[in-house]
Amino acid sequence: MATLSSNIIAQAIYLASKDKNESEQSDIFKNFIKFLFRKRLFTKASDIISKLEQIVNKEGGRLVVKVASASKLEEKTKIILIHDLKHRYSSKEIVLEEILNTKLLGGVRLEINDEVIDLTLRNRMNKLQTHLNKDL
Amino acid sequence: MTHNTIVENLKREIENFKIEIKTEKVGKVLELFDGIAKVSGLSDIKSSEMVTFSNGVVGVALNLEEDAVGVIILGDFSKIKEGDEVKATGKILEIPLADSILGRVVNAIGVPIDGKGALKATKAYPIEKVAPGVVTRLSVDQPVATGIKVIDAIIPVGRGQRELIIGDRQTGKTALAIDSILNQKGQNMICVYVSIGQKDSKLRKIEARLEEGGAMKYTVIVSAGASEPAALSYIAPYTGVSIAEYFMDQGKDVLIIYDDLSKHAVAYREISLLLRRPPGREAYPGDVFYLHSRLLERACRRNEKYGGGSITAFPIIETQAGDISAYIPTNVISITDGQIFLETDLFYKGIRPAVNVGSSVSRVGSNAQIKAMKKVAGTLKLDLAQYRELEAFSQFGSDLDEATKKQLERGKRAVEVLKQLQYAPVKTEHQVVTLYALVKGFMDDVPIEKIKEFENELIDYSESHAKVFYKEIIENKMWTDKGEMELKKVIEDFKKSFS
Repeated sequence: MATLSSNIIAQAIYLASKDKNESEQSDIFKNFIKFLFRKRLFTKASDIISKLEQIVNKEGGRLVVKVASASKLEEKTKIILIHDLKHRYSSKEIVLEEILNTKLLGGVRLEINDEVIDLTLRNRMNKLQTHLNKDL
Repeated sequence: MTHNTIVENLKREIENFKIEIKTEKVGKVLELFDGIAKVSGLSDIKSSEMVTFSNGVVGVALNLEEDAVGVIILGDFSKIKEGDEVKATGKILEIPLADSILGRVVNAIGVPIDGKGALKATKAYPIEKVAPGVVTRLSVDQPVATGIKVIDAIIPVGRGQRELIIGDRQTGKTALAIDSILNQKGQNMICVYVSIGQKDSKLRKIEARLEEGGAMKYTVIVSAGASEPAALSYIAPYTGVSIAEYFMDQGKDVLIIYDDLSKHAVAYREISLLLRRPPGREAYPGDVFYLHSRLLERACRRNEKYGGGSITAFPIIETQAGDISAYIPTNVISITDGQIFLETDLFYKGIRPAVNVGSSVSRVGSNAQIKAMKKVAGTLKLDLAQYRELEAFSQFGSDLDEATKKQLERGKRAVEVLKQLQYAPVKTEHQVVTLYALVKGFMDDVPIEKIKEFENELIDYSESHAKVFYKEIIENKMWTDKGEMELKKVIEDFKKSFS
C-alpha cells in the first residue's frame, strides 16, 4: 500500500466528521487516534491536525491572515484590512493573527497561506538599496 | 565626481524610484541536505522555476511533491538554515548574456569568475530550451576543421554535428578538444568550453594555453569546478549551450565542448538520490538518457530562413578501463552522430593522438569533407584497414609476398603521418598535401623514422613552390589536373633534395 500523506488522512477525518453530532465526532476522533497508533503515524499527528485546520478553514470560508507590523495595529486599520482582504480573497471570515516585529520599521506584512504581501518600510528600503546598487 | 553631484545623483535616483509591491509566493525551508532543500508552501511553482533564498542564493525547483518542493541550491548552501524564507520568482532559470562574454570565464550561472569585472548583460537566455525542430534544420555539409589529421581525414566532423570523444583517463581527450579550439582561429567559429567537475588547476592551464594561442578572443569558458556543489555541475552544460545559442541566433557557427559528461551524469545521480528519486541501473535515475539527449539535441545546423548558424558539440566521456559498454558511454554513443575512440595502448605505443581508427566513426561527417580531402582520405582509410588486417597476420609468418610487404610498409607510414604533437593543429591544405604524398606512394621509400621530418619539410617546400595547387585547394576545395601536375613535380623535386 502506498504511504498515506498527512493531507489525505486530514481530508478523510474531515469528510467522516462533517455534519455529525458531538458524540459521533468524539467516536471518530477516538478511532482516529487508534488508527494513528495502529499505523505508527503518531509522529505525524501535529502535521495532520494543522492540515485538518487548513481544510476546515477552507471549507468554512475562513481565512487566517498573519499580520506582522512594527507597532500594534489600530482598530481602524484592522477594519480596513479585513474589508480589503474579504474582497480580495472572496472569503466569508477573516481571522487576523497579529505579530509584533520592530525590525520591520513601519507598515504591515500580510501572510495568507503561502502568499506574502510585504508593505513594510524594511522591504521598501531593501528594494531601494538593490536598485541603487544596480544603477550607480 | 564631486561630492555635490554624488548627492544630487542619489537624490534624483531616490526621487525617481518607483516601488512595485507584488504578492509573492513564499515557502519555508523544511529540510536541508547537501545542496538540496525541501521547501514547504510555494503552491503554484512550475518545474525548473527559479527561487531565491533569503540570503540571495538562487535555487531551482526540481521535485514538485504534494506538500513540499525539492530545490537544488545553486551556490553556497552552508548559510541557509531550516525555516528560512524561499521566494518563487515565476521565471525559468536564465543567464545574463552579451557579446562581451567572449574571452571570459563564467560560472555555471553565467557570472564571471575571472576577476575582469561584471558582465553588462544585454539579453537573458533561459538555460532550458526545447531543441530546434525539424523544419528549422539543415543537413550537415560544412566541415569543422579541427586541425587534427586523423580526425579531419578519417572521422570528419561537420558543422552542427555531435561527435563524442571517448576514452580512458589520460588518453588525450581534452587535448583533442583544446587543439580543435586553437585551430578555429580565423575559421569564423565561436567556441564554448564547458568544464564539469574538473580540477581548477587544469582549467587554469587550459585557459592559459588558449590565451597563449590567441584563442580566448573567440572562446567562452563555463566552469563548474570539482569543489562546487553538484547542482552547479548539473546545470553547467545547459548554461554552455545557452551561450552557444545566443551566438547561433546571430547566425554564427559555434563549437561547444562538454568536458566531461560522465561527471555530469554523476552529479545528476547525486542530486537525484538526494531528492529521493528512485535509482535505476548503476544507481542513475531513470531520466539520465533524457538528461543528455535533450542537451545534445540542441546542437544543430539551422537553415537560412530561421537565421542560419550552427552548434557543433564535442561531448567527452571518460571510460573505466576501456569499457565502452557501460551505461553512460552507451547512452551517449547512441545519442551522438559518431565517436572518436581513444585508447591507452595506442597512447603508450606513442601513437598520439591515440585514436583507434577502427572503432571511431563519423555518421554524417563524410558529407562535410572538402572534395580534395575526400579524395585522399578514401585511399588512406583503405590503406589503414588493410594494414590493420595484415599486421596481425604478418606476426605469424615471416615469408610475405611483395604486395603484402608493400601494404605493410604503406600502413606503417600512414600511422606515422597521422601522429601529431599536442597544440600543433595542421591547416587543411597542408593535410591534403601530406596525405596526397602518402597515398600516391611518394613516401614509400622514405625511412619511417624520417617521415615526420619529410612531412614538415615538404609542407614548407610545397607552400613556396606549388602555389597553383594551394590556391585551388583554398578557393575551390579541389585540385585540377594542372594543380596536381604541379604538386607531383614539386614533391619529386623535393625528394631529390631530401636526404
